[in-house]
Amino acid sequence: MSDRLERELKKALQRVEPPAGFAERVLARAAREEAKSAQPRAWFRWFGMSGLRWAVACALCLALAGSAVLYRHQRQEKGEQAKEQVMLALQITSSKLRIASESVQQISGPEQPVRSEEP
Amino acid sequence: MKRIGAIVALVLAVQLAAFAQDWDPGGTLKKLSARASNTVDVTLDQSMLQFAGGFLNSKDPDEAQAKNIISKLKGLYVHSFQFDKPGQYTEQDVAAIQNYLKGPDWIRIVDVRSKSEGQNVQVYFKKEGQQFKGLVVLATQPTQLTFVDLVGPITPEDLRALGGQFGIPKVEVHPNPAGKKGESK
Repeated sequence: MSDRLERELKKALQRVEPPAGFAERVLARAAREEAKSAQPRAWFRWFGMSGLRWAVACALCLALAGSAVLYRHQRQEKGEQAKEQVMLALQITSSKLRIASESVQQISGPEQPVRSEEP
Repeated sequence: MKRIGAIVALVLAVQLAAFAQDWDPGGTLKKLSARASNTVDVTLDQSMLQFAGGFLNSKDPDEAQAKNIISKLKGLYVHSFQFDKPGQYTEQDVAAIQNYLKGPDWIRIVDVRSKSEGQNVQVYFKKEGQQFKGLVVLATQPTQLTFVDLVGPITPEDLRALGGQFGIPKVEVHPNPAGKKGESK
């Protein structure tokens, strides 16, 4: 009884050589599976983590560029206003000095400006 | 701690100095502004003048001349009041401004009074040593009062050089070398 069992076991467990190319096929399939499983990770990395970083970086760049444009625009506007004020101030000064000058030049003319005395 | 105190004192001194540039004797300008129908107020300190100078075009003759003038100035203050009718400012208002200009540093070089037009113009220079450090123009008409204060080295020669620019005439001014006040031309 035990001899029979032993024989059957030996028969069942005897070494069987794999068919030709079996190892290559296994390795190839494993590589395919690995590539398949790696694809979603790369996608996630690109559109997930890296994508978020890119989005934040782009938003910061846009905000910086926007701020720079706004600052430049406001500075230009203030500068133009200051320039207009300077020109206005000098024009007013000029017009008053012209009155003084013309009056001084008319001293020998028909209308004599009144010379003031020491205040 | 001492250093912080010194910095605070310096900042306060600078602030006070800047404030003192555009003066308003007895709040006269403020009162006039309240009564005027139209007011022009130009208040430009040195930093603003420098800033404005950056926007003046050197290729434009007027702007180039303006740039040259303001490059030397520490302040440019113009207050012009237009009134609806005569009598809305008083002699006291004018006197309040004139009193400030009676100090020993001030030399009145032009005093023009036209009785027919009721137009008066007085030009003062501020003298420090042998240099002129400021120019004030006080012009009054029955319905207008204008006060111009240029702080900085503006000389009669500068004014002559400005002939034709902004309509500024070649004012023939000859400051009294003795520095006598109230000389009229």
